[in-house]
Amino acid sequence: MISLRIVWAIIRKDIAEMTRNKFFVYITILGLIAYVALFWALPSTVNETLKLGVRGTGADALISQMAGEEGLELTSFDSVDALEAAVESGAITAGIDFPDDFLDSITAGTTTTVSVYVPADTSAEVRTAVSGMVKELAFIVAGSSLPVTPPAEDEIVLGQDRAGDQIPFKDKLRPLLAIFLLMMEMMSLASLIAEEIRSKTVTAVLVTPTRTSDFLAAKTILGTGLAFAEVALLMAAIRAFSTEPLVLLVALLLAALLVTGLALLAGSTGRDFIEILLVSVFLLVPLMIPAGAALFPGTAATWIQVLPSYGMTQAIVRASAYGAGWAETVPYLLMTIGWCAVIFALGVLVLRRKVETL
Amino acid sequence: MGEAAIQVQGIRYSYGGQRAVDDVDFHIERSEILGFLGPNGAGKSTTIKMLTGQLRPQAGSISILGMSMPQQAEQIQGRIGVAFEEKNLYTNMSARENLVFFGRLFGIGDLDADELLARVDLADRGRDRVAEFSKGMRQRLMIARALVNTPDVLFLDEPTDGLDPVSSQAIREVIRQEAARGAAVLLTTHDMNEADKLSDRVAFINEGHVLVIDTPENLKIAHGKRSVRVRARHDGSVVETIIPLDEPGADERVKQAVGDRELLTIHTQEATLEDIFIQFAGRGLGA
Repeated sequence: MISLRIVWAIIRKDIAEMTRNKFFVYITILGLIAYVALFWALPSTVNETLKLGVRGTGADALISQMAGEEGLELTSFDSVDALEAAVESGAITAGIDFPDDFLDSITAGTTTTVSVYVPADTSAEVRTAVSGMVKELAFIVAGSSLPVTPPAEDEIVLGQDRAGDQIPFKDKLRPLLAIFLLMMEMMSLASLIAEEIRSKTVTAVLVTPTRTSDFLAAKTILGTGLAFAEVALLMAAIRAFSTEPLVLLVALLLAALLVTGLALLAGSTGRDFIEILLVSVFLLVPLMIPAGAALFPGTAATWIQVLPSYGMTQAIVRASAYGAGWAETVPYLLMTIGWCAVIFALGVLVLRRKVETL
Repeated sequence: MGEAAIQVQGIRYSYGGQRAVDDVDFHIERSEILGFLGPNGAGKSTTIKMLTGQLRPQAGSISILGMSMPQQAEQIQGRIGVAFEEKNLYTNMSARENLVFFGRLFGIGDLDADELLARVDLADRGRDRVAEFSKGMRQRLMIARALVNTPDVLFLDEPTDGLDPVSSQAIREVIRQEAARGAAVLLTTHDMNEADKLSDRVAFINEGHVLVIDTPENLKIAHGKRSVRVRARHDGSVVETIIPLDEPGADERVKQAVGDRELLTIHTQEATLEDIFIQFAGRGLGA
């Protein structure tokens, strides 16, 4: 049976100790400020227009023909040098140089080469897309049309159609910011626990009427409460509660519980700050992967989906950025509850064993 | 005599295959101070861990204040005080905060921490962080912490370790006061002199066994070798004679040594507890 009086006494003591650890106080406050500043510094709109430069035969005609095409902006260049300079400066995504004998070659049915200029850091996906577009543009310049019958419908959208209403990058960044902040909180609690074990103050506590369950309950309530309060404050500061606040609060509470379970584990295994740091990083890097994958929807591989933070990340993104309600987020919340139960049980088991065998 | 404050019967504990405590029996009355003496690894700490509820005995029984340990650990732990050898204090908190926190664990909301600090001569350092304390000051705070709940049983592990002679004397006085108040005190120490001065009875423990329990005086009489060292002037020179008192004819030999000589000095020599411990254990406490 847990004694609330004792649990409260331990929590009060722990808060006093934590607030005197200047490193964690500063890093938490500075982290919070930095994450909020980063969020608001990122653009709030999505510009997915593809800017292409065109030079050579038929370029002007092409531009006038493509005028008004959504998502595509064509600019004419007089020389190859100017085209290259625009690519290098980043003014355009890619440059297309149609050779002067392009039309003649097409008419004669001979092969010709169109040069495409792309910056060195262009991804393979963009290069492939630009190459495909060059073929289409080449048909237009040659006065032909693609040998493909357009589908009756433009496209079949699975789920909510967000064409023209894309989610800004910063909105998808929220789970990652949350995990960074939770990491600080986890390290703070883990350090507190490790210090109690190292100095054996926990032994002094456990020869009073305090039970191990009181000790564990105090750490759990304090860790979860602080982590939840901090991450909720962060989410409020980055305007995440504008849609489905209740779903988001539940997701954050589960996230706080998850990292508290990890803190119990890290605190049991680490002996000093450096060890806590190493164990924390070891535990937290896998948690960041789903949050990183959330920045690029559709990229989460199967193995990412089984990581403990995947459900939490999806619930946060979907509730805060897409306005998803209970129906859409419940599977992710249940997934997180399952992981919380596993990690928390493991943390309690390891810490209990540690303090009872000192 | 009423029920003993601590009654231990046949307790055993092994770490893996290594027997640390083997069939240990003893009791401590209220107001009694029992000195638990033995070298490192003798089983003192394991015994105290079982008595304070940190370890569960693998055999035997422990009764403290009429309650069974570990079955009634929570009730017992509310009435005991423990000062560990390791100075396990919260160093980022003040001395006062340490005591108030432990008071709260015992359900004492209005603890007079200043009075406790005054008892161990730390009244003027109550608001200082323990991290700034010397080893001796930490030790005194450990004693104060053990007294937070006005315990009926006190477990003190090396209570004067690291203290200067004046502080040691002050702590001994606090321990005597606690015993006079009615507390049973189990004290472990390496310091035979301290055990001699402080304990009503002493128990020698070695390799997990209690070898003997008795008052220091009885142990010295029963097992110690007494002697008299006589220095006298005879025919212009100083003669020193040591006469064992436990051998036949000792009285006569003392009379002869003094005789008609000019007596300069005469000293009685008693065995120390350390001497007696060596007799029982075959080694000293530092071995």
